[in-house]
Amino acid sequence: MKYLILIHSNPRPWGHPTGDYLPEFQDQPAEVRERLNAEFEEVLTELQNRGELITGEALGDPTSSRLFRWQDGERLVTDGPYAEGKEHLAGFFLIDVESHARAEEVTHRFSGPGETTELRPVMS
Amino acid sequence: MDEWEDVWRRQTPHVLAALVRRHGRFADCEDAVQEAMFAASVQWPREGAPRDPRGWLVRVASRRLIDQVRSEASRWAREERLAQLRETGPARSTDDDPLHLMILCCHPALTKASQVALMLRAVGGLTTSEVAAGFLVPESTMAQRISRAKATLTRHGATFPAPAPQEEATRMAAVRHAVALLYTEAHTRSSGPVITDAALTGEALRLARELVRARPADPENLGLLALLLLTQARAASRTDGGEIVPLEQQDRTRWDVGRIAEGVALIEAALPVGPVGEFQLQAAIAAVHAEARTWPDTDWTQIAELYRLLDAVAPSLSVTLGRSAALARVHGPDAGLATLDPLASRHARSHRLQAVRGHLLAEAGRREEAVAALTEAARLTRSIPEQRYLNRVVANLAVPGP
Repeated sequence: MKYLILIHSNPRPWGHPTGDYLPEFQDQPAEVRERLNAEFEEVLTELQNRGELITGEALGDPTSSRLFRWQDGERLVTDGPYAEGKEHLAGFFLIDVESHARAEEVTHRFSGPGETTELRPVMS
Repeated sequence: MDEWEDVWRRQTPHVLAALVRRHGRFADCEDAVQEAMFAASVQWPREGAPRDPRGWLVRVASRRLIDQVRSEASRWAREERLAQLRETGPARSTDDDPLHLMILCCHPALTKASQVALMLRAVGGLTTSEVAAGFLVPESTMAQRISRAKATLTRHGATFPAPAPQEEATRMAAVRHAVALLYTEAHTRSSGPVITDAALTGEALRLARELVRARPADPENLGLLALLLLTQARAASRTDGGEIVPLEQQDRTRWDVGRIAEGVALIEAALPVGPVGEFQLQAAIAAVHAEARTWPDTDWTQIAELYRLLDAVAPSLSVTLGRSAALARVHGPDAGLATLDPLASRHARSHRLQAVRGHLLAEAGRREEAVAALTEAARLTRSIPEQRYLNRVVANLAVPGP
C-alpha cells in the first residue's frame, strides 16, 4: 500500500533539514536533538533497505512558488506562497508498505518538534 | 511475449534449481540466472536458440556465478570459494523444481509482497524492472526489496530443495496465498498501463497451473486454479470505459465460456476429493455465479451455504460480507443487515462493510442511512474506480425516484 508522508513546516530561514532552522527543535537539549536526528537517519535507511521508499524530496522556499489560478475565463499567475498558514509543505516521502500500521509507525518516527507530519493514503 | 522470451522464461526455475543444487548460494545463483537470461535475450534472437536451451543457460549462469565470486571475494576467500564451486555434480533438474522454488520464495520469514516479487523473478523469470513495473514502483525500490528478501532467506538458512514432505502441505498453502494475492493485485489494479495488468494476471494463472501440474492430487491447487479462471472469465465485463460494472449489471454474454468450462470442470473434480478448503469453496461460489444465466437466476441459497462453510474454514470480514449479501437475496435485506450489525464497531474503517451495508439499507428503503453508509464507503476506499462507482450510487440515491 502506498502512502504519502507530508512534512508541514516553517523553518526560519527556510532550509533543510528543517529541524536545523526550527526554534522548537533547537530548544531541545543536545542529546534529544541528536537522538531525533539519528532516528530520522535510521528510519530513512530502513525504508531504503526494506525496499519501501519510492521517493522523497525537500521543497524550496514557499515564497519562491508560482501560483496558477483560473479567473474571469483565463489563467492568472501570481507569486506564492500558496497559503499564509503557520506551516508550509516542506518535503515529502512516497512509501510502499505492507500495512497501514507500518505506515503509521514510519510517520511517527519521521515527526519532530515544531512541525506537523501528515500521512495520506495514495489511491490506486 | 515473443517466442524466445517464452523459452528462456520457462527454463528459469529449472536452471536456477540446477545451479543451486550444484553450488548452494541461492541468492548468488538467482543473480547469475538473471544474467544468463539477459545473455540469451541478446544472443538467441541473433544466432538462433541452442539445441539444449537449458544446458546452455546452466553453463552461462555457472560461468557468471564463478565470475561473480572471483570479482567479489578477497584473494584467500576466493580460492576457497572457487574450490567449493568446482566441486560439482551434474546439473540435475527435476519436475518438482518450479514447485520447490515457489515454496522457497514463499518462506514465512518474508512479507507477502516480497514473496510475490521474488517468485515472479526466480520462478516466473521476470526481470526486476518488469516486476517493478507490475507493482508500479521504481526499479531501485524493487531491486532493494528482492535483494533483502534473498538476504533474509540466506539468514534463515532456507535451503533448496525445500521442505520435508510432511511440511510441504503447509508451505504450499503459503504459495497458494501468494499466487492469489498476485492475481488480486493485478486484477483489481486501476492505475498503470493496462498491459502490465494482463501480464501479471497471466503470471498468476501460470503459477497456479504450475501448482496443479506439480501436485494435481491436492484439491486446493485445483480450487485455486479454478477460482482464478472463473474470476478471469468475467474480467472483460467488470469494467466499462474504466467504470466498475457490478456483477448484477454485467453483460454475461461477454463472459469467457472456455475459461468457465475449464474452471467448473476443475472444481467438480476437486470437491469430491476432500478436504474442502478455502480456495475450493471460493471457486465453488464463483462457479455458481458463472453458471447463472441471469442475476435473478443465481442460486443464492447455495451461495449462502457455501459462504457458511467458507466462514468455518477461513473466516474473514469479506467472507462474512459475502454471506450477508447472499442471505439478503434469500431472506430479504433485513436478514443481511442483522448479520452486519455485530461487525460495525470492530470494522468501522472498512469501506467494504459500509458499501454492503449501504446497498442493503437502500434495498430496505432506508434511503438516508443508505446514503450515509455509501458516502462513508466512498470516503474510505483507496480505489479510484470504486470511489467513482460509490459516488455514482450515492448521487442516484440522493435524487428521489419517480
